Amino acid sequence: MDTPETFIDFVRQQSGKLLEQTLTHTGLTFISVLIAVCIGVPAGILISRRKKLAGPVLGITGVLQTIPSIALLGFMIPLLGIGPKPAIVALFLYALLPVVRNTYTGILGVDPNITEAATGMGMNTRQLLLKVQLPLAMPVILAGIRTATVINVGVATLAAYIAAGGLGEFIFGGIALNNTNMMLAGAIPAALLAILFDWALSRLQRVNMRKARKIALVLPVILVLLSSFYLLPETYSSRLKAGFTPEFMGRKDGAVGLRNVYGLQLRTLVISDMIMYKAAYEKKLDVISGSSTDGRVKAFDLIVLKDDKHIFPPYYAAPVVRQAVLDKYPELAPALDQLSGTINDSIMTELNYRVDYLQQNPQQVARDFLVSAGLWQPARNGSKGNIRIGAKIFGDGYILANMYKMLIEGHTDLSATTKTGLGGTKIVFDALVNDQIDMYPEYTGTGLLVILQAPQTTVDSIIGDNRKVYDYVKKGFAEKYQVQWLQPIGFNNTYALMMRREQATRLHISSISDLATYVHHH
Amino acid sequence: MIKVSHVSKSFSHGKNAVNDLSFEVQPGETLVLLGTSGCGKTTTLRMINRLLIPDTGDIFIGDKNINTETPETLRRSMGYVLQNTGLFPHYTVLENIAVVPQLLGWDKTRIHSRALAILEKLRLPPATYGDVYPQQLSGGQQQRVGLARALAADPPILLMDEPFGALDPLTRISVRKEFKLLDELNSKTIILVTHDVEEAFELGNRICIMNEGRIQQLGSATELLFNPANDFVRHFLDKQRLELELKSLRLRDIWPYLDSAGGSTGTALPPDTSCWDTLEHLTGNKAGSILDGQNKHLDGNILITAINAYKKTVSQYGHA
Ligand SMILES: Nc1ncnc2c1ncn2[C@@H]1O[C@H](COP(=O)(O)OP(=O)(O)OP(=O)(O)O)[C@@H](O)[C@H]1O
Ligand SMILES: [Mg+2]
Repeated sequence: MDTPETFIDFVRQQSGKLLEQTLTHTGLTFISVLIAVCIGVPAGILISRRKKLAGPVLGITGVLQTIPSIALLGFMIPLLGIGPKPAIVALFLYALLPVVRNTYTGILGVDPNITEAATGMGMNTRQLLLKVQLPLAMPVILAGIRTATVINVGVATLAAYIAAGGLGEFIFGGIALNNTNMMLAGAIPAALLAILFDWALSRLQRVNMRKARKIALVLPVILVLLSSFYLLPETYSSRLKAGFTPEFMGRKDGAVGLRNVYGLQLRTLVISDMIMYKAAYEKKLDVISGSSTDGRVKAFDLIVLKDDKHIFPPYYAAPVVRQAVLDKYPELAPALDQLSGTINDSIMTELNYRVDYLQQNPQQVARDFLVSAGLWQPARNGSKGNIRIGAKIFGDGYILANMYKMLIEGHTDLSATTKTGLGGTKIVFDALVNDQIDMYPEYTGTGLLVILQAPQTTVDSIIGDNRKVYDYVKKGFAEKYQVQWLQPIGFNNTYALMMRREQATRLHISSISDLATYVHHH
Repeated sequence: MIKVSHVSKSFSHGKNAVNDLSFEVQPGETLVLLGTSGCGKTTTLRMINRLLIPDTGDIFIGDKNINTETPETLRRSMGYVLQNTGLFPHYTVLENIAVVPQLLGWDKTRIHSRALAILEKLRLPPATYGDVYPQQLSGGQQQRVGLARALAADPPILLMDEPFGALDPLTRISVRKEFKLLDELNSKTIILVTHDVEEAFELGNRICIMNEGRIQQLGSATELLFNPANDFVRHFLDKQRLELELKSLRLRDIWPYLDSAGGSTGTALPPDTSCWDTLEHLTGNKAGSILDGQNKHLDGNILITAINAYKKTVSQYGHA
């Protein structure tokens, strides 16, 4: 197994990538700060002269600041697509308020006696601004730039969600893969960058009055220099563009396998699961790493490429329950196992489609299904105890958690509460072993590769056989964590490469091998 | 040189800060605007250099209405000393002084030598004070730099808003003395604002007493003292009346009332000596004075009697 043992090893091994991400991160931060300075300082000057505009301008920039960062990035996608452009614009919008506000207060904070003296000496408005107001407001303006920079170092981690790169790739990859070293390799440099820039700008802020005038000249040069770290990705090429989630990027059964087994070399961007499908639909991406039962596959008319060399391990879903809970409530396992064998891939895709795309309530979708399968019963008294059901933030989890709640309440005297949206595998699994939840639906493949981190040789020997994988994780979980795998539900939510149906048909691509051949020749 | 004609100014709230103000300042003259706080002195100055625009009325420099020039050109031709110095904290003393010459586009060496010269004249050795920042100076030093800055480009007109306001009474007197002796100021037309009566009498050729935005009286020291236009003027000067009278009356003014008996003994004082200085001299010495070949003996009694006689005549006939 080639997972590095220590943090240092990881950093050493990934140093190239780390450097690239750090530079990208710095560039992203400073390009946006630079633009914010170019627009924010003049805007601050303007509103310090036309005070009627001050309220609206500060109000609007203030409201922009309160939009949650991930939402702001989301808003940008329909307008600007994915990649650096929307990321820079979003970061710029965040940086705007501190820059505008501090320029405004800085200029208004200049002693009116001094501006009167300057005007009385015969300075015109421009001379007053350049010789008196800006130099005297400089420490306050710098404080604004400093705030903007620190905010942006933080927000720029989210740029990884929309394929703009930066240290967020490691951070979110690490969270998704339960790889602490990877997470830290992103988080620590990000924190260090924030501290470093904060310190450097605080030094600038404290230099004396004489130098304050020079800063006005030096600062833009520094900003431009740092911005240039972000070399904008090469212009349009005819090659296909792929977008993979941070999790997929780092997995042996993900991008690594594609490269090693299929020899697939794609121009790849890292992107959030949340916007990946839509980006493919909107032709911003051509190949994406989806999950085969996702509702959006149906919604956006994508097709799943056939994994003809079997690199994606089986991801059969089954409830995992703490042994202690099963022992305490023997009636629990039979109630849950009723779902086994009732949901295949296409049913699951359909259910997901109703929730994700038609925006139907997961509870309603779960209930409708149980009713049609004849499994639904009205809730009993629920007096015997409470089962806490967790679910990951994405995909099937919501619906399955709701089904289990209804099964438990309808078929036993237990009550159940759902705790959905527990982030990635690491978060929900930690919640389980730490007694925060009692059960959640998990996939066999994830158990094998992410949680048990089975040795490579073992993986290779069992990966082709669904049953063997199930047995392996069942045994491993029971021994290592005192957690039981119940019966698989029946569908296989495996990784899959997907393309737009129209494009795949046009290029005659139906399997990953076809894709590799196509890419090779173009 | 400066003519203010029926100027009024009100601010957004309330009554006029300046009300139908008219006066003229002759070339080379120092006119003092004197009045209580808030009577519109600063407002008047700021209208003269167009920091404020009068609601009604006109202001002329020479015979040109000030509105015919750009405000910048106008301001660069007038030195302006602010009530609270208004020095630029991010400029050194020398840089502060260089501001107006720079705006006027002087060349560097000329600016530098002029700045050094003016500092020297104001008794701030450039070696010690040239490169320090205003915050490092005492209040009195700052005011002198403020004055230096206003004088740097040698403007014909000087507007000074309480130039010694921030000083303690003692320093104030000595700075004032220096100020009077500055040759730089000899040929300048000056409007000086103060609310210190003594300062007004010492520095002004004529004094304009203001109250609530209106001129109460404009005239020479003796006119104000012995022929006040109204009760306000009278009361305004009452506190220091004796001292002011003694200081502004010269032997020449009271000559006709001096007892001519006796002839002179001791030092002969020039006829332009003020009564104040004469009295001071008389406390230890004998003195007399000679005017138009007439020789008169002086002592305390004779002097006071003459002054009283002078005042009586003036109040009866309106002049001596
Ligand atoms: N910018 C302004 N806005 C509103 N009112 C003003 C403004 N400037 C002056 N005033 C008002 O105009 C009146 C005259 O003010 P001004 O500054 O001319 O007084 P001043 O004679 O210089 O007083 P001081 O001796 O205290 O400096 C005051 O009542 C003052 O409140
Ligand atoms: Mg004033």
